[in-house]
Amino acid sequence: MPNFLRLIACPSGRASAGKRGVMPTRLNEVLKNDIGFIAILFSVAAIATWLLLMPIVPAIANATMHRFHLRSGSFMRFAAQFPIPAMYNFANRTEVNDVPPGFVDSFFGSLDVDDSFRYINHFPARDATFSVGRYVNLRDGRDRWFTLESDYRGQQLRTQLHLKNRGERDFVLLRQPES
Amino acid sequence: MIASPKLSRRVDLAYRIVQVCLLLSLVWKYEFFYQSIQVYGYITIDDVFFPRILRSDSVLVGSFAAVVISSLLCILIRNRVVRNLGSFVSLFGLTVLCLHQGSYNDATFTTGWWTSLWSWWFVSRMNCDDAEVLLRKGAFLARCMISMILLAGAVGKWTPEYWSGEVLHDIYFVDRNFWTFNWLRDRYDAEALREIATTYSRFIIITETIFGLTLWMLPARIAAILAIILLTSIALFSNFLLFSVLLSLIGLAAVGLFAKT
Repeated sequence: MPNFLRLIACPSGRASAGKRGVMPTRLNEVLKNDIGFIAILFSVAAIATWLLLMPIVPAIANATMHRFHLRSGSFMRFAAQFPIPAMYNFANRTEVNDVPPGFVDSFFGSLDVDDSFRYINHFPARDATFSVGRYVNLRDGRDRWFTLESDYRGQQLRTQLHLKNRGERDFVLLRQPES
Repeated sequence: MIASPKLSRRVDLAYRIVQVCLLLSLVWKYEFFYQSIQVYGYITIDDVFFPRILRSDSVLVGSFAAVVISSLLCILIRNRVVRNLGSFVSLFGLTVLCLHQGSYNDATFTTGWWTSLWSWWFVSRMNCDDAEVLLRKGAFLARCMISMILLAGAVGKWTPEYWSGEVLHDIYFVDRNFWTFNWLRDRYDAEALREIATTYSRFIIITETIFGLTLWMLPARIAAILAIILLTSIALFSNFLLFSVLLSLIGLAAVGLFAKT
């Protein structure tokens, strides 16, 4: 029996006395007496399955990209994915501009913002919402337009966010219509 | 089943190590969190995607404080009721932190959440299972969680931009102020750095994939030692701030050191 199965099936170490039928009995004991253990193990296995299917099931990568861009169909769909770790997932890039996308800005001076399309490890929307990104990009209280882009094995999601200032660095986040 | 005092002490020690690591992971970036809260007070963002309660700075601060205090109490007080309640509060607080507008993206809280889930289960079994059984099950569950978290990192990188090293080159090699990358920039030109970034990125993808797929199957102590070495080296060679993400996993991995295989 593989080591990891023996650990569950014959946990006491005294189980070796019974050669036949030990595993099912012990496994049943674990199942019966420790629902929490089974539930957590099932959750871990379900997430691992979800992850392993990601490269071959486009809908899974798509759901994760929408999660990264804060564009899941509802907050509940976003929330349902929170236990799934997402460190350094996908090729995510962000661009921050002080004029709307497509606007010819040759007549306007560029503000001191990061306007290069740089890679970011995960959750590219954090460039607008999180800590340092929020401070660097929004501290002067001017409107900003964020372009988020995530790529995964041929799939791409592009999102445009408008951080509209309502006064005294009080912003409202507006999602531009999906292109 | 009554455990021997020695075994009980091992169970208690394993539990406390996990709690200490969870606590350290949260306070590791205390200054960063403190400054973040100041930024959120200075610059507010109204995003209706998040429920109002999950945009509140008070909720963010309260949840963080609740997790820190409850973890501390679980370390200091050896009482099952306190620990049960403390683990539940930690789990609840970390759930809030994983969903809050100001912290949803921080992996510290994701790894902390899994650690709290493990802790809540572990405490619930302290008076039910034989100590040796509990340590074996605890170690198995811990390495399943670590495997899954490493697998998540690997799968997300199974993409041409990571395999070519393009992403990590941009994030780390271009201008990241950290000893490894400063040292490399001092010694190699841009072309060589790009090649190093490719090797570095592929090494990470392969390592995470192998560990993600196999760690859970290894004997407890071997898995514990390998996981601790891997997780520690990720932070030492990439970014010290990553200890906030990895310390709670290091604590979980350490449970394997107490289990007999």
